[in-house]
Amino acid sequence: MSFRELRARPWRDRSNETPLVWCPPHGDAPGRELALSAWHRRVGAWQALLASLDDGRGAWLLFEPDPVEFSAALVAIWERGEAAILPADNQPETVRRLAEQGVALGEIPGAPRAGADRAPQWSDRPLPEIAVTLFTSGSTGAPQRLVKTFAQLDAELATQAALWPQAGCRVISQVSHQHIYGLFFALMRPLCEDATLVADTCRYPETLNAWLDACARDTKPAVVISAPPALSRLPETLAWQPGARSLRHVYSSGAPLARADSDRARALLATPVHEVYGSSETGGIGWRIQQQGEAWTPLPGVHIECDEAQRLWLDSPHLATGGWQRQADRIQRLPDSNDFLLLGRADPVAKIGGKRLSLAAMDRALGALDGVERAMSLPLQRRELRLAAVVALSPQCVPQHHAEHRALVRDLRRQLAAEFEPALLPRYWRFVSTWPTNAQGKLDAAIRQRLFADLDDRRVPRWLGEEAVADGFRVTLEVPERCQFLDGHFDGQPVLPGVALVHWAMTLAARLFAGPITFAGLERLRFTSPLLPGDRFTMTLTRRSGTPKLHLRCEGGRGEHASGRLALTGEAHDT
Amino acid sequence: MTTPLEHELKEMIIESLELEDVTPEDIDPEEPLFVEGLGLDSIDALELGLALQKRYGITLESDGEASREHFANLKSLAALVEARRVK
Repeated sequence: MSFRELRARPWRDRSNETPLVWCPPHGDAPGRELALSAWHRRVGAWQALLASLDDGRGAWLLFEPDPVEFSAALVAIWERGEAAILPADNQPETVRRLAEQGVALGEIPGAPRAGADRAPQWSDRPLPEIAVTLFTSGSTGAPQRLVKTFAQLDAELATQAALWPQAGCRVISQVSHQHIYGLFFALMRPLCEDATLVADTCRYPETLNAWLDACARDTKPAVVISAPPALSRLPETLAWQPGARSLRHVYSSGAPLARADSDRARALLATPVHEVYGSSETGGIGWRIQQQGEAWTPLPGVHIECDEAQRLWLDSPHLATGGWQRQADRIQRLPDSNDFLLLGRADPVAKIGGKRLSLAAMDRALGALDGVERAMSLPLQRRELRLAAVVALSPQCVPQHHAEHRALVRDLRRQLAAEFEPALLPRYWRFVSTWPTNAQGKLDAAIRQRLFADLDDRRVPRWLGEEAVADGFRVTLEVPERCQFLDGHFDGQPVLPGVALVHWAMTLAARLFAGPITFAGLERLRFTSPLLPGDRFTMTLTRRSGTPKLHLRCEGGRGEHASGRLALTGEAHDT
Repeated sequence: MTTPLEHELKEMIIESLELEDVTPEDIDPEEPLFVEGLGLDSIDALELGLALQKRYGITLESDGEASREHFANLKSLAALVEARRVK
């Protein structure tokens, strides 16, 4: 086996058989391999830059999307025996928060990148104890600082090299090396295992397809480091077979892959997807191939237990300290086996597109925005767990119609974008003037369902709260922009037909009033001004006990939309 | 003036990306689709590529970055569909 641990500095020399870097084809330029000496000169270039910037702190803030430059910079920092701090992103807020911690390098505003090639300098200076400092989104909201020692990383690198050797493979990555999964799988493993790292990150399926084809043509085995967002969107229209011949392993991590996506990826790539379960803090914990079962198998050397609250306990060489540690995930052990099912997290952290988001941090950021009185973010069980937000606004800030709603959403998203990556920003917004709760004062699952019911049913209004009034209820609603009843009414300006409004009134009345309610006809109902897509309005429904009439009044920002009454049957139950 | 194809693409974007509060009229054909304009993100870019393949049979170039330049705004997207659609 060709594995050498990081502490043996495998980057200084390696066998001549496997190049360290493959530059994939780009446009008309064919792919080519980069000699180790060429990469060494990039290390030398970074060493020269670091020497010129040295301010005595011995700590460097590195954000660099180019894998060749990143790996050269990282090694240059290690060879100095100094600290590499890797921000998770280069958002202004992140950079500002970390500015004090080290000298900024790479693609950080105002930061330098290395210049011309230079010969590297290898000295006897010892490696630092800590290899990298990373940041993850913690359950409390504040980004958690996390260190990985060389000892920890080497333990895990050895485990993986033994389990899934990849010497001689080209390691194509679809994930960022600023996070531990990409750093570990796409950079450190190739360094330590005589495999080849790829000079660019593979963002799109067409690119993956072309690079795999190139590997097949060069008769080079390939490994793909991927994640659910990419694996769930492999187009079936691309010809995958030629390239799939070169494929040895496909890895997915960051979040569980849906079974259907796993099946499809396996069929297209003719290779099973190895899913790796773990986190930045814990390192790898387990793995699975879904076609062999839903359960996860612990990685060699990793011991797991489950307590009465279903929480996972971990004793792992990949952890910073030995001994059992309780984790945030809930699991279920399979009988007579070490395998386990993953049940979800016990703390409010969401995974969106494989990225971890602290809901507490998002709630805090939302709550601090202008005009926001209270806010709660929630992941919806749809499309990559896109985030939704329920936001209580001060009365003058509540949007009354579509244009105001759009302007507000854009403004809120723009403010949040300083702190969060675009994919983490809420996509579904519910603006309320009073916090919607059940009788116990909680925004519970039923209320939640009501707030977002219009996403799944194009016939219902967007519900934004309700209150009791004399003899009835006042419900706040919006006309969903994609409401089915709007279709084909008038060209140009769609409006909500009166019949749809009556249908909504009857559906709400059936839930709100005791006893069965059956529509018997319209009475003196006037539609004073039309409701447009995105219009917010209140619908007041009142019913004097003992009368077979439902009074209806709809009012919005432009005044009254409808008023009058509906005749009901079914009085016998009401007296 | 919005062309019929542009209108069709607006509806495809809204439906496939589930932009619940966006109407076709909100999408300015010249405005960026990503980040500062309509606010789409990296996951949307993948989803949009898939939608184009399903709906129009378009296979994007292997040079992902270049092909995604077609996603700059609605006009460039319409030009891509015009030139490359097979259905």
